[in-house]
Amino acid sequence: MNKKEMMIVGVLILISLLGMGAFYLYHMTDSNLLVRVSVNGQTIGEYPLDEDLIQSFETDDGYNVLTISNGKAGITEADCPDQICVKTYPISSPGETIVCLPHKLVVEIVTGN
Amino acid sequence: MPSKTRRLVLLSLLLALALIMAYVESFIPLPLPIPGAKLGLPNIVTMVSIVLLNWPMTLLLVVARVILSGFLFGNMFSIIYSLCGGFLSLIVMTLLSRRSISITLISVFGAIFHNMGQLIVAALVLQNTNLFFAYFPVLMLIAIPTGIITGTAARGLLSLLKKTPYLNDITEAYRGKLK
Repeated sequence: MNKKEMMIVGVLILISLLGMGAFYLYHMTDSNLLVRVSVNGQTIGEYPLDEDLIQSFETDDGYNVLTISNGKAGITEADCPDQICVKTYPISSPGETIVCLPHKLVVEIVTGN
Repeated sequence: MPSKTRRLVLLSLLLALALIMAYVESFIPLPLPIPGAKLGLPNIVTMVSIVLLNWPMTLLLVVARVILSGFLFGNMFSIIYSLCGGFLSLIVMTLLSRRSISITLISVFGAIFHNMGQLIVAALVLQNTNLFFAYFPVLMLIAIPTGIITGTAARGLLSLLKKTPYLNDITEAYRGKLK
């Protein structure tokens, strides 16, 4: 790679960092936060982020256990083959998501009204 | 014109190599809890194929590799994500390979668009566009170093392959593209 291409790589890194920053700024809010669980785009449950909860969700493909504790939501157990949802760090900021692709299940933090 | 048999042999060799890369990759997941974050080792073979052969042959290679490695080391649902990522990344890399851009940079763009393709499918399947904006910047940032690593490997492999007399008649038709 020459100097010009190094600059292109630098610009790409900058774009991705700006994208991350823009995402957090866009979702920044003071209102109450909710944890929304959806399967196939259909919301199947909404829970306040400030109340502890352990809840299992059965889908056609398997189950995922959602745990909310200390203002953070995470999947603590699932029978999906890749276990990516379990390995994902617990989420707490609006817009953040945990995805279980095999079960088509999405956990996201949304702002409540 | 290179003989069809020799081209077929080269394509089969590349496919076997790509499958081994996918196998090796399944042992070294990136220590990042982000879906879709991978080293992209099979992309080394895709790039070699774009340079040595042409895009229709590479398309065959990518489709065969994704389906076979999906059945061998992945699962059914991973195939559709990899296919869409593979298509988008192949289109972008083919277009870029016609310009005087280094293989390393082509690889970086290929990695970025592979993630983009996978995320588009994920956002469509899960009907959640928020997902795309949540993960794309992070995956893009990861794609840059992994793209540089695989691109550097592809460049090294190509410079060795160029010295192999066996490949001469196969690559003759595409020699203009070799840099």
